[in-house]
Amino acid sequence: MNGINDFTEIQTEAAKNLLYRLADDQLILGHRNSECTGLGPILEEDIAFSSMAQDKLGHSQALYQLLHNMGEKDPDTIAFTRKVNEYKCCHLVEYPIGEYDFSLMRHFLFDMSEAIRFNMLSSSSFEPLAKIARKFKGELKYHTMHAVTWINQLGTGSGESPFRIQKSLDVCFPLALGIFEPSKYEETLISEKIFFGEKALQEKWLEAVIPVLKNAGLVIPDIENVTAAYGGREGIHTEYLKPLIDEMTEVYKIDTGAEW
Amino acid sequence: MSIKSIDPRITRENLSDVADQNPIKELNHWQTYEVFHQTKKGDHHIHVGSLHAPNAEMALILAKEQYARRYECVNIWVVKSSNVFTSDYDDEDIFETTPEKMYREAGGYKVMEKINKYKKERKGV
Amino acid sequence: MYGGGYIFEESKNGKSEAEDSEKLERFESKIAAGEKIEPSDWMPAEYRKQLIRMIEQHAHSEIIGALPEGTWITRAPGFRRKLALMAKVQDEVGHAQLLYSAAETLGKPREDMINDLITGKSKYSNVFNYPAVTWADTAIIAWLIDAGAIINQVANSKGSYGPYCRALERICVEESFHLKYGHDNVVFLATGTPKQRDMVQEALIRWWPPIMHFFGPSDKISVHTETLMRWKVKMASNDDMRQKFLDMYVPKIWELGLTIPDPLLKKNETTGQWEYTEPDWNEFKKVINGDGPCNKERLAVRRNAEEKGEWVRRALMRKDERYTVPFA
Repeated sequence: MNGINDFTEIQTEAAKNLLYRLADDQLILGHRNSECTGLGPILEEDIAFSSMAQDKLGHSQALYQLLHNMGEKDPDTIAFTRKVNEYKCCHLVEYPIGEYDFSLMRHFLFDMSEAIRFNMLSSSSFEPLAKIARKFKGELKYHTMHAVTWINQLGTGSGESPFRIQKSLDVCFPLALGIFEPSKYEETLISEKIFFGEKALQEKWLEAVIPVLKNAGLVIPDIENVTAAYGGREGIHTEYLKPLIDEMTEVYKIDTGAEW
Repeated sequence: MSIKSIDPRITRENLSDVADQNPIKELNHWQTYEVFHQTKKGDHHIHVGSLHAPNAEMALILAKEQYARRYECVNIWVVKSSNVFTSDYDDEDIFETTPEKMYREAGGYKVMEKINKYKKERKGV
Repeated sequence: MYGGGYIFEESKNGKSEAEDSEKLERFESKIAAGEKIEPSDWMPAEYRKQLIRMIEQHAHSEIIGALPEGTWITRAPGFRRKLALMAKVQDEVGHAQLLYSAAETLGKPREDMINDLITGKSKYSNVFNYPAVTWADTAIIAWLIDAGAIINQVANSKGSYGPYCRALERICVEESFHLKYGHDNVVFLATGTPKQRDMVQEALIRWWPPIMHFFGPSDKISVHTETLMRWKVKMASNDDMRQKFLDMYVPKIWELGLTIPDPLLKKNETTGQWEYTEPDWNEFKKVINGDGPCNKERLAVRRNAEEKGEWVRRALMRKDERYTVPFA
């Protein structure tokens, strides 16, 4: 078991990089999904989707807080004042909300990875992270239950629904593979048992999502012929991230010295 | 003309300000379900409200957030509203029973007097 | 959040329920004794009609009420505000859900109510036809509009109709978070940097007239409202609620050194009543009738949300189902 102060320099760097990736993903997707609040397809779903967006933001805040405990700036400063190329989120979370099929498919693919990732992290040698991961477990379980139920029902639903869901899967799949873009710290993370690594996560993720998608009657994109959307982890982003950050920080930046 | 809003989310939708829409059809917001929740194990499930859902599985998923996001809860039941059979408030008087039903109350059974009388008599023997 | 000023329909032929005077008498004595009316109880047609109208307006006000504050949902500064605003707007959607259900118990399906909303046939609270121009507007709304709503809703939760009272009980609990959050937000701005202070002062100036409109025009007791009050549909007069609001909140606004844009506003210590410049009721009427700064946008947004969600709902619709009035 490692605490914050037990790490060597390279281990600290690796852990921080991992935390930034995870927190930025959750911040940006939580923000994106919050755009649906009050505008959802039916009241009951509007409420559920908003809760999950709140959970994501809460998760990102907890992870930024851990970074802060490791010597980084405070969560608000990290989330609201960095330059676009300093964010380490994957491209999947950056895309606009689009139609509900897209938002649901993204939610399904992303949250399935989150549930597995944090389950893996709950036995991380980095105890503060393991502790956070265990705390997220219940919320992530609900997210995946919600996502699986929707995908299954829309995939087998009437009208244009199966077609829409298939189309969204085709769009989201390469983007979702970008979640697992390896960092230069993979070896350290794995050897120090901080995290089992993106490759292991991707394998487990495929094992989990494919049966659900098949069960929903969807055609799985041929993974060999799909190019994963990499770059986000290195700060190279889609055209959608900058306007998102500008919008998100508009009020915060009116007066950065202010307490809001 | 599309609406330019102070809300960037709305501006992005490119909404027309011309009001034309087909009315929402019957059942497009699905059927109604009744929601029951249990605050802690050992308690009864209590009716907390209703919601619209297309089937029981979805009702459960949606009920969790609308009826348990802010309150302690360990278990939820959902029941289709159409499956609930109720008594009629017009028949409310069937619940007003006559008070002369001591035969089913604990207080309706007092035998100490008999026992004491019996004991006294035995002593006399 | 809703502040009253309900638009009740004038009853056309007076006491049309006279046909069943015995039932009416029993109904009224139940209410007088403080008993609640439940959905399957006998009730005068007029009672049902006015309740549907009122609860429906309240529900619409919640879902439309999610929009002015929603304006800033993507721009809330910092985690604390961002999460709180999301939770608050979500609660408003939740309130709409509860209230539509309560109205449904009286026999009007949700689809019909939403159709009446998006075609402009039924109304919602006038204040939501005003824009939230800056972040500070959301603070003023969350504090003062929700405060007004609580006054109205606490009164209504003691009304006669069971399902509405039950919904309001839960709603009031959640509104108290909104009020605290709104106050906290206003206090931070009012005691913050000069820029923040200016923002909140300007927002207060913008929102004062709609706040004064919030409880509706003065309702001199007419035979019409008298019946509704006897039936415990309408629980407090608009003027009484406005007075109560001023009594509770004007001192709290003044203690922050903020200026209320009404030079005549003061409490008459002899009468105990607040005196104020009479709100512009022509403006109120104009906005209710569709000619406010945001009426078009609000309805267009709801129409769009319904339209965009239509395929999602249709995908899971079952043709063999039938509609059942809910119990809640």
